[in-house]
Amino acid sequence: MTGEQIVFLVVAFVTLFAGLMVVTTRNLVHAALWLVAALFGVAVTYVILHANFLAVVQVVVYIGAIAILFIFAVMLTRRDMRDQGPQMNKNWWFGAVLAVLTFGGLYFLLQGWEGMTKTATSYPVGFDAISELGNALVSPAGYVLPFEVASVLLVAALVGAVYVAFNPRNGNSGK
Amino acid sequence: MIPVEYYIILSAILFAIGVAGVLVRRNALIIFMSIELMLNSANLAIVAFSSVLKSFSGQVFVFFVIAVAAAEVAVGLALMVEIFKAKHSIDVDQMNSLKG
Amino acid sequence: MNLTSQDYQVLAPYILLTAWACVLLLVDLFIPKERKSVTALLAALGLAVTLGVTLSQVGIEQVGFFNMAALDGFSTFVNALLLVSGILGIALAHGYVKRMGIERGEYYTLLLFSVSGMMLMAQATDLIIVFIALELLSIPLYVLAAFARPQLSSEEAGMKYFLLGAFATGFVVYGTALVFGATGTTSLAGIVAAAASPSTSTLLLTIGAALVLVGFGFKVAAVPFHMWTPDVYQGAPTAVTAFMASGAKIAGFAALLRVFATAFPALAVDMTAVLWALAALTMIVGNVIAISQTDIKRMLAYSSIAHAGYILMAFVPYGNPAVRDVSIAAGLFYLVAYAFTNFGAWGVVIALEKKEEKGLAIADYAGLGRKHPLLAAAMTVFMLSLVGLPPTLGLVGKVYLFRAVIAGGFTGLAIIGVLTSLISAYYYLRVVVTMYMKEGEPETVRETWLSLTTALTAIVTVVFSLLPQSLFEWASTAVLKLF
Repeated sequence: MTGEQIVFLVVAFVTLFAGLMVVTTRNLVHAALWLVAALFGVAVTYVILHANFLAVVQVVVYIGAIAILFIFAVMLTRRDMRDQGPQMNKNWWFGAVLAVLTFGGLYFLLQGWEGMTKTATSYPVGFDAISELGNALVSPAGYVLPFEVASVLLVAALVGAVYVAFNPRNGNSGK
Repeated sequence: MIPVEYYIILSAILFAIGVAGVLVRRNALIIFMSIELMLNSANLAIVAFSSVLKSFSGQVFVFFVIAVAAAEVAVGLALMVEIFKAKHSIDVDQMNSLKG
Repeated sequence: MNLTSQDYQVLAPYILLTAWACVLLLVDLFIPKERKSVTALLAALGLAVTLGVTLSQVGIEQVGFFNMAALDGFSTFVNALLLVSGILGIALAHGYVKRMGIERGEYYTLLLFSVSGMMLMAQATDLIIVFIALELLSIPLYVLAAFARPQLSSEEAGMKYFLLGAFATGFVVYGTALVFGATGTTSLAGIVAAAASPSTSTLLLTIGAALVLVGFGFKVAAVPFHMWTPDVYQGAPTAVTAFMASGAKIAGFAALLRVFATAFPALAVDMTAVLWALAALTMIVGNVIAISQTDIKRMLAYSSIAHAGYILMAFVPYGNPAVRDVSIAAGLFYLVAYAFTNFGAWGVVIALEKKEEKGLAIADYAGLGRKHPLLAAAMTVFMLSLVGLPPTLGLVGKVYLFRAVIAGGFTGLAIIGVLTSLISAYYYLRVVVTMYMKEGEPETVRETWLSLTTALTAIVTVVFSLLPQSLFEWASTAVLKLF
């Protein structure tokens, strides 16, 4: 076993354990923190896969913004941070069975995929991944259209979020 | 070197955990966190594939998924906080003011 | 490597509408609160101008943005239908939001953003664009569903729709990931090319396509992914529900058709069986549960689920080149029929709805036939059209649909369609019976735009059923550009 493999196995285990804790823990703050751990595990996996820039984006956006927003939301929606009462919905066994079936199906089907044993390769020396990514995002032959649409999407989401969070009792919309 | 199989299996398990969370839990926040796990598992699979295929477009896709996830979080969490302010609970099973 | 005017022409309607929405967002700031009708008018004007641009593109077929988006007969037809839906949605909403005390300029801006996302979905030829367009159409809809906040039922509808939609997004992304893994590309043209090469894993491609189908199944509310649809449709402001029920369905089906017919024809053998089961299940479950509903919004919600099943029938023979075009045309025709009928029916619901969710029980329609004969007549037309009885567009749509499905060799599915339509007659006609046979004093509101919309959709539903050939011919020109 090489060092890389050991790192991968440890990270994979931590990620999965953290993911499992997110969906099983009672305490909402803990769930959010476990989510951070799982997201961080995914970021480390990106590094192992030589996607360094994405790993940084994962940490900055996913952990730094999204997970923190989750923690805010938890703080704003719970008095005692502890969820009382039953945690599972009435049909929890059905959902669990379905999820296991999802994984079983995916695993069983993927077994037959011949590409499974290929290994990830690092980019050749001198390959500048970040400038490639930057070029791909804004070059017309690349992804400029989704890039622009994503910005429209963010505007729409912003307007929507402000509308939902806007308190009609305090403000009177520019009057 | 690690065969891509391991990454894909990791991502499949993570996806299944996310699906289980959505289907099993009642708290809207936890359900949403589980959805984030699903998106992350998909991103992981894309990056792994993109590394094997030596194709860069996968990484760009992940970039967009992250951007979209951020947009979803803004709207979703705003909704949840609003609902909590109104009824002090975000259990989806208790959202029964709609049962006709 | 530069974009040419051709690229911009392909997406001209989308670009125009997005720009209009952004400008409207700013203009709205200067419109005083009591004159938000101006915003509504401007939004409708934007949709109308875009409709003009779209109609000027009839007959053009090209791809743009380096194979990211396509302009073809299919996209032009769907875009026109979506823009008309947007205009009808605004016409229904205009008086409704005022009456319910939720009149705000953002309503119309968000609606425009949503329509632009829907249009992009119909044009997308790259899975990345499909994904982002899906979000662009969904996120404004989540907010619109919660628009009547702080009214709890509306907020809950928004939240449920949001969770369901985000869950669906998870499936779409994972499916896209697997398709990317199998083919090394997200472009539909690239997928077709890769699928033809023997080194591509069909298995991975199939799982990916199936997961994408699950995601879209949630979006178009097909059984078994329909769980929260009735709650969302019931809780959302009625004008939003009307728009959501048509717009989101049209766009979802358009993207599904384009993705499956262009990128996955090789998977037709497996997918046909899955689609067959989905369509049959959706028709049966939607219609059977609708029978027991007493609330008109819930009943129409189940009816919309059932109609998703009918439209899904058009997908079943998608892998058979001999009948593909005619079944796509039949599916589009049915979407037109459904959109007009749906808007009309929801318009009548809006006319009877009162504050605090009163006036929504089917029993509240008693006596409508005597007191407001025109409104009752319109509702009768819509109910007949939803069942598929003459003289309405619904009947013609079903005839074309069943004919295409039988031509594709799926007689069993057509029989299920006919039988479930018979079941549906029970609950639709119950509304008609309540209106004419029972005594009651229903109160309605009179709003110019609402009456106009209801009258217009009723006339379209009847008149086009008498001369369906021209519409069907247009739908027949709406062929997909294949790669």
